Amino acid sequence: MADIQVFEKITNDLVELKDTSEMMMDLAYSALLLNSRELAEEVLMLEDQVDNLHTEFELLVLSSSADLENTRGLLGLIRMGVVTERIADAASEIAEVVLRSEELHPILGMVIQDAEETVERVEVPHNSPLVGMSLKEARIPEETGMWVLVIRRGNRWVKPKPSLVIKVGDMVIASGYAEGEDDFKQLVRGPN
Amino acid sequence: MTDVERIEYTPVSVRETLIMMKDISELMIDLAYSSALFNNKALAEEVMELEDKMDTLVYILNMNLMLAARDKNDAESLAGVAKVGSLTNNISDAAADIAGIVLKDIGIHPIVREVFQRTEEHLARVWISQDSILSGKTVDDLELAAEVGVDIIAVRRGRHWMIKPEKEILMPDDVLVARGTEEGLKELVKAAKGEESDLG
Repeated sequence: MADIQVFEKITNDLVELKDTSEMMMDLAYSALLLNSRELAEEVLMLEDQVDNLHTEFELLVLSSSADLENTRGLLGLIRMGVVTERIADAASEIAEVVLRSEELHPILGMVIQDAEETVERVEVPHNSPLVGMSLKEARIPEETGMWVLVIRRGNRWVKPKPSLVIKVGDMVIASGYAEGEDDFKQLVRGPN
Repeated sequence: MTDVERIEYTPVSVRETLIMMKDISELMIDLAYSSALFNNKALAEEVMELEDKMDTLVYILNMNLMLAARDKNDAESLAGVAKVGSLTNNISDAAADIAGIVLKDIGIHPIVREVFQRTEEHLARVWISQDSILSGKTVDDLELAAEVGVDIIAVRRGRHWMIKPEKEILMPDDVLVARGTEEGLKELVKAAKGEESDLG
C-alpha cells in the first residue's frame, strides 16, 4: 500500500515539475516581450518552488526501494527531474536578463513576437462573452490553441486556475502558436 | 572521438537567428519528451541532430553580436541578447539529455507514461487511415493549431521521419506525433481514423 502511495506522489511531483518548468519558460519569454519586471520576479519565485520540489522528488525516487529491480527506470526518472529543473533554471536566467537591464534590446521583444510560439495579451471588454465565465467554461485552449499564462487584474497578477472567474478589464496573457492569435483575440473581445 | 568542427563566421540576421534558436529549442523539448514517452530512438536521434545545429547557431549568433556592438551601451544591451541565445541552447541541452535517456537505454519507468497523461500538454501518436480527411493535405493547410489546438511535431512515413512538417502532403499510413490539448488530440484521432468529415 505504501508503495502505491509513493508512486502516486512521485508521479504528482514530476507532473508538477514538468508543468511548472514549462510555465516558467512561457512567463520568462512573456517578461521579455512585455519588458515586465513583475513577471520576471514571478518566474524567480517559481524557481524557488521548483528547487524545493525537485529535491523532494529526488528523495522520494531514491527511497522507493520497493522498485529496486527497476533501478534503470528510477535513474531515468531522476534524469527527467533534472531536465525539468534545468529548464526552470534557464527560465529564471531569462527573467534575470529582464531584471538586470535598464533597457532591453528591442530585438528580444521582436523575437518573441515573431517566433512560432508567441505571446499575446488582450483586455476583456465589457461586452466580452467571457465575462462572468470561469476559465474552464471559457475553453480558451480548446477554442484557440492558446494557453492562458497569467491574468493581470488591476495591479495584481492572478494565476489562471480553472475556477477563476473572468472580469471586465482583466488583461489575459496567453501563449501558443501564432495561428491561434486571431481566434484568441476574437474569443476574448467577442463580436464588436 | 567526437568530431568538433571549426565554425566559420557567417553574416546572419541576429533577429532571424535568435528566432530560429528559440523555435528549435522548443521543438527539441517536444521531440525529446515524445521520444521518452514512446521510447523511440529515431525521434531521440533527431533531437541529437538538432542539438548539433544549435551548437553551431549559438557560435554564429555570438560572432554577429560581437561585430554589432559599436559602443558601451550596445555592448550592455547586446550582452542580454547573447545571454538569451545561450539560454535557448541550455534548453536544447536539456532536451538532448532526455534523448540520451532513450538512446542509452537508461530506462523509461512506467511512471513516465502516467506523468504524460496528467500534464497540461499532451502528446499522441496518430495513425492516418485510408479514408481520413487528413490525407492528401499539407500540415499547413490543415491549420490544426487554429482549428483544434494541436501541433504536429513529426511525421513517420515508413522508416523515414519528417520533423516539423509544413508543406509535406500527408498520406494514408503516416504516423503523426502531435502535441496539444487532450480534447484537440481526440478530435485529431477521429479525423485520422476517417470518422470525421470536418475539423474544428
